[in-house]
Amino acid sequence: MAVSATVDGVLAELAARKRWRLSHVAVAAVVVAFLAWCAEGAGLRPKELANALPAIGEYFYRMTPPKWEFSEVLWKPAVETLYIALWGNVIALLIGLPLGILAAGNVTRSALVRNSAKAVLNLLRSISELIWAVFFVAAVGLGPFPGALALGVNFGGILGRLYAEALENIDPGPVEALEATGASRLQVIAYAMLPQALPQFVTFNLYWFEVGVRSATVLGMVGAGGIGFELVTTIRLFEWRETGVVLLLILAMVTIIDMASTWIRSKIY
Amino acid sequence: MDLEIKGLSKTYPGASVRALNDVSIRVPAGEFLVILGPSGAGKSTLLRCINRLVEPSEGKVFHNGAEITSANGDLRAIRRSFGMVFQQFNLVKRLSVLTNVLSGRLGHRSVLRSLAYSFPEADKRIAVECLARVNMDHKAFQRADTLSGGEQQRVAIARALAQQPQVILADEPVASLDPKIARQVLGYLRQAAQELGITVLCNLHQVDYAREFAERVVGMSRGAVVFEGPSSLLTDEVLHRIYYREPGEEAKEEQ
Repeated sequence: MAVSATVDGVLAELAARKRWRLSHVAVAAVVVAFLAWCAEGAGLRPKELANALPAIGEYFYRMTPPKWEFSEVLWKPAVETLYIALWGNVIALLIGLPLGILAAGNVTRSALVRNSAKAVLNLLRSISELIWAVFFVAAVGLGPFPGALALGVNFGGILGRLYAEALENIDPGPVEALEATGASRLQVIAYAMLPQALPQFVTFNLYWFEVGVRSATVLGMVGAGGIGFELVTTIRLFEWRETGVVLLLILAMVTIIDMASTWIRSKIY
Repeated sequence: MDLEIKGLSKTYPGASVRALNDVSIRVPAGEFLVILGPSGAGKSTLLRCINRLVEPSEGKVFHNGAEITSANGDLRAIRRSFGMVFQQFNLVKRLSVLTNVLSGRLGHRSVLRSLAYSFPEADKRIAVECLARVNMDHKAFQRADTLSGGEQQRVAIARALAQQPQVILADEPVASLDPKIARQVLGYLRQAAQELGITVLCNLHQVDYAREFAERVVGMSRGAVVFEGPSSLLTDEVLHRIYYREPGEEAKEEQ
C-alpha cells in the first residue's frame, strides 16, 4: 500500500496534538489555583471540620433509639407536607408550562416574547422558596397554603426553564415533516414538539415533586405548614430522639416517592 | 477457520412468532456472504445471535470448531473476534474519527488504561492504518458528527477492522445511504475483508447489491432460510420465495 507515508503523517500529527495537550495541564493548574483561592473566600476549614466530626456523630448518636411514640403527633404534619408538595407542583406546572413554551427558542420565534418569558422565569427562580414563603405567610397568613404557593412560584421558574430546554433539544425532523404538511404553528407544537418532550416533562415533574417534599420540610420553619415546624421545634428543645423520628419519616417519604416515580416513568416511556 | 450455525432459533419474550426458525448455515473462512431478505425476516437477529448481543433460544454456533453460544467462556474474547457494522453507524458523534476507531481496540486492552483515554503506540498505528484502508485518514482529527453518512460508515468499518476480527457482521450497512455511496462503502468493506482474509456476513435487502458483491447468498424469509447459493442463481422464482407475502400477512405480523 502507498498509504504508509500518510499513516506516519497522521501518527506524527497525533503526537504533536498530544504535546499541545500539555497546555491543557497548565489550564488545569490555573483552575486548581483559582479553586484554592475561592476556598479561602468560602472560609473552608477542613481541619475544624475533621475535629468537629465526632461532635456531629454525637448528634446522630443522641437520636438513637428514636422515640417512636412521637410519630403519632407527626402523621398530620407529614401528610400536610405531601399536600404542600403536590399542590406546589401543580401550581409550578400551571406557571412553568406556558412560560417554558414561550421561552423555548424553536417554539417561539419572537425574541421579545421569548426574552420576556425568560426574564419572568429568572425572577421566579432566583428568589428561593423560603423567601417566597416569608412573603406569602405575610400575605395570606400561616399554614400550608402559603407553603404551596411558595413552592409553586419558585418551582414554576425552575420547571419552566427545564421545559424550555427539553423543547429545544427535540429532534427537528418531525417538526419539519409536519410543517411540510401545511400544519399551522400551534398544530406543529401540539403534534410534533410536545409529544417528543412529554416524557422529559413527566420526569422533571416527578423529580421536583420529590424535591418539593424535601423543601416543604423546611417551609415549616417560617410558619408555612408541614413537618418542618416539628423538626425545628425538636432541635430547639434538644429533643434529639424526636428529631430522629422526624428525619426517618422524611427519609421514608422521599424513598417511597422515588420508587413510585421510577415505576411511573417505566410505564410512560 | 469456519463459522458454522446449527439449528439456531430465537423467540423474543412475549412474541408469538419465531424471529429465527431453525437456521443452519456454514460459512467458510474468508467468504463474503450476503444474507438477503425483507425487513423483519430475522437477518438482524441472526447476526446478533452470533456475537450474542441477543441470546438464541435454541441451536449452536461454532467458530473454528469451538462452540461459542452456550460457552460461558470469555464473552469478551468471543466478541473480540467478531467486528460489527451497524445500519445507523453508531459512532460516538462527539468524539474524533480517530478516537472512534481506537475504540475498536478496547476489547484487547485493560480497562484501567483505557479509562485514561490512553492507547499504546501500536494501537494508534493499527487505528490509522485501518482509517487509511477506507481512505479516511485525512479526516482523523475531525469530530465524527462533521462527516457525511457514507464517511461515517467508512469510519465504522475502520473501527471494526481495528478490532482485527476474524469475522465482520454487517447489519444493513448501506440501508441509509444513496446508491452511489452505498456501492463505494460495500466496495471498501469487500476490499478490506479480502486483503485481510476476514469473513463477512452482510445483511442486505437490496437484490442488486447482493448480485454485485456477494460470493454467496443466503435468502431469508419469516425467520427461515429459503435459499442458499451463488448470486447468479437469484432468479425471479427465488426472489419471489424470499420477498413474497400472502396479502394481509404483513399487517398480521406487525400486530
